[in-house]
Amino acid sequence: MTATLANNRYLPPALGIGSLIAFVALVELLIRVGLINRFIVPMPSDIIAAFPRVIVEEHVLSRFLLTAAEAFSASILVTVFGVAGGVMLYRYQLLRRATETWVAAIAAAPLVLMYPLYLVIFGRSALTIVMMGFTAGLAPVILKTLEGLSATRRVLINVGRSFNLTPSQQFWKILFPAALPTIFVGLRLGLIFALINIVGVEFLINFGGLGQLINELAERYDLAGTYAAICFVILVSICVFILTERLERWLRPVD
Amino acid sequence: MAQTGGLTLPTAKPWGLPLRPVTALRVAIIVAVVVLWEALSASGWLYRDVVPSLLAIGQAVYATLSDPTFYFHLGTTAYEIGIALLIGGLSGLAVGLLLGGSKFMSRAYEAYLYYLGPCPKIIFFPLMIMWFGVGPGSKVAMGAISCFFPVALNVAGGMREIDKVLIRVGKSFRANTWQMVTKIYLPAMRHPVINGVRLGLGVALIGTLLAETKLSNRGIGFLVIQAYSIFNMPQMYALLIILFVISIGANTVIGRFGGLDEIRRS
Amino acid sequence: MPAVPFERIDANAPKTARRDPILVVDDIVKRFETPDGVLTAVDHVSLSIAPGEFVGVIGPSGCGKSTLFNVIGGLLDGYEGTVRVAGERVRGPHPAVGMIFQEESTFPWRNVIDNVAFPLEIAGLPKAERYERARRFVKLVGLDGFERRYPAELSGGMRQRVSMARTLAAQPKILLMDEPFAALDEQTRLLLGDKVLQIQQQLKQTTLLITHNITEAVQLSDRIVVMTYRPGKVKRVVEISLPRPRSSEIVSSEAFGRYVAQIWSDLREEASRGLDDEESRKLREADTR
Repeated sequence: MTATLANNRYLPPALGIGSLIAFVALVELLIRVGLINRFIVPMPSDIIAAFPRVIVEEHVLSRFLLTAAEAFSASILVTVFGVAGGVMLYRYQLLRRATETWVAAIAAAPLVLMYPLYLVIFGRSALTIVMMGFTAGLAPVILKTLEGLSATRRVLINVGRSFNLTPSQQFWKILFPAALPTIFVGLRLGLIFALINIVGVEFLINFGGLGQLINELAERYDLAGTYAAICFVILVSICVFILTERLERWLRPVD
Repeated sequence: MAQTGGLTLPTAKPWGLPLRPVTALRVAIIVAVVVLWEALSASGWLYRDVVPSLLAIGQAVYATLSDPTFYFHLGTTAYEIGIALLIGGLSGLAVGLLLGGSKFMSRAYEAYLYYLGPCPKIIFFPLMIMWFGVGPGSKVAMGAISCFFPVALNVAGGMREIDKVLIRVGKSFRANTWQMVTKIYLPAMRHPVINGVRLGLGVALIGTLLAETKLSNRGIGFLVIQAYSIFNMPQMYALLIILFVISIGANTVIGRFGGLDEIRRS
Repeated sequence: MPAVPFERIDANAPKTARRDPILVVDDIVKRFETPDGVLTAVDHVSLSIAPGEFVGVIGPSGCGKSTLFNVIGGLLDGYEGTVRVAGERVRGPHPAVGMIFQEESTFPWRNVIDNVAFPLEIAGLPKAERYERARRFVKLVGLDGFERRYPAELSGGMRQRVSMARTLAAQPKILLMDEPFAALDEQTRLLLGDKVLQIQQQLKQTTLLITHNITEAVQLSDRIVVMTYRPGKVKRVVEISLPRPRSSEIVSSEAFGRYVAQIWSDLREEASRGLDDEESRKLREADTR
């Protein structure tokens, strides 16, 4: 039965990893026999060999720290302004009715294309990158905060009123905790958007951290190095996603 | 959506214009932004032209829209995105159906998609240039890669989320496989599929346009970066405004498709 | 409707039961593998239904009622025993069996008439004929005028009537209902019960109703099968000798009250076993977390 196979704990993940390795081996083989041009796709063994070189010679650690610092600054900005914005729209319903569709439209717009504009305003600096990350992550956090607060069940609000809570107690003891799970979803989205845009803009404007590394290696036509750097960035971003997921699960109450 | 509550009822203003508070606030915000913008522009506090006057931007919008070469670039970009959406969307749909239909496949492969999905795709651009050249090919590839992930993940998730009772209804009436797919599975998945396409369009747009800004000699992305390099700020604002209007419009149109049956009630 | 006299008419109900049964459920056993071991959901259950008869199956949550429903409907296999419809062994959904599900099961992307026409479309009927028939059944459940509405525009009770019309439109010989009114409020439930009685009257529809609601079971059934909590066995069969045609007004009668009390005394023990079981399971879950 396929159902029992699918429920096996190790088999499906093993197949996943197995086919990944098989694919890499196949590429290696095809390059060695010459079916794939080795000046377009370097051999996987060369890419693996390039890893230590890239890490040591290209100051990967300091680049990583720079990108991380940019991402961290953008995250702080996104969190503070996003949650505050959401709370404000919830508090002033008139403002919400006037602007919620605008915020939603902004969330759907390809904001990262404003990077040349930011380049003019903030110069070719880390500030441009941080602001780009901030801009990209802001709208989802506002919308999710607003959604979480508005979705607080009526009966919980009435419980608070029945205990004669002051408006600030009502907010901190009822509304905010009730909205927290949704807010975390928004924050995770916002942080991921910020990170994507930060690495992307680094690559595009050839400045600073990990994104620039790829650009430089590609411009030097260091094939194996470029592929290795791309793999490295993917690994880093996967680690960050897993981390934010863990963090979200850890901070969220049982539900 | 129905506006409720007395607040939104039309109120007669002294000058006889019925203006709802929401509309009034919107107008007020727009006016405030315009005034602030013009003041900033006139003050000259920021470098020259970073905040061009709205009149200049408006003129640039008009000039751009009446320039035939703009439509050549728009056509190039639209063509690239169209092909990207087709390739990325169809392969995403196929992979999504495969993963959503089989628990085994999903447990074996879906994690890779899930974690690759949010990675910044633009870093693949150097590879795409090597594989598909500096022309539209590499831009299409960027768009297709970007679009593939959200479509695949949404279709897979949507297929799993289908209300099981609807499948039982189909089986109880002895629908065959073809009938199950066309009359139950696909209609039941319309929201996640459309949502996937919408997200896919958004990221394909970004992937293609960013690739154009990085290395290209045609397309809207190229126009934006050209405006930047010759420091033509009104032109840059104009292009961004046109672009945002088009993308938000496309997004809304696809979104409307999805809610036909549920949102009828007003 | 005229007031119905409530004397017992014993000659009425058992007579139908002696006719050749159209549905025979013979010695069904269904087990499930769970992380806590093998669970016997249905344990040697047998019952038979004569044409035109209305049989209720009642039991607490977890007595395997829904499992039985899925077995008879042919949606579940891997069981012991046999299910026969008009003498024919059931393997997979049988054309003579129509099912109405407990959950919301209308298609949100089809309007009322297209929902009801669904089984006719599956069966490949020509368009004109299927709409003609669908309209008839929409009218039968009292939804004429709502043909072009979508489920999202209807109330829960109306949506359940759409599912009912959809299943009836296939003109099944046997109608299976799995707690069809579970999600509705008590008044709507009683009124829909009236609708079911009236349709039953018109179509002479053979029906098996699965429910946990005693009032509903007594209001509608000729015979009630009471099931035990885990493993689900037949505990008792109660003949309901209330006169037909019935209506919801019958719930206030003395005879009705006696049946309800009798069935509740049977069910009480089972339901409280179920409750204890549930509580200890939640405790264990909390411990393992």
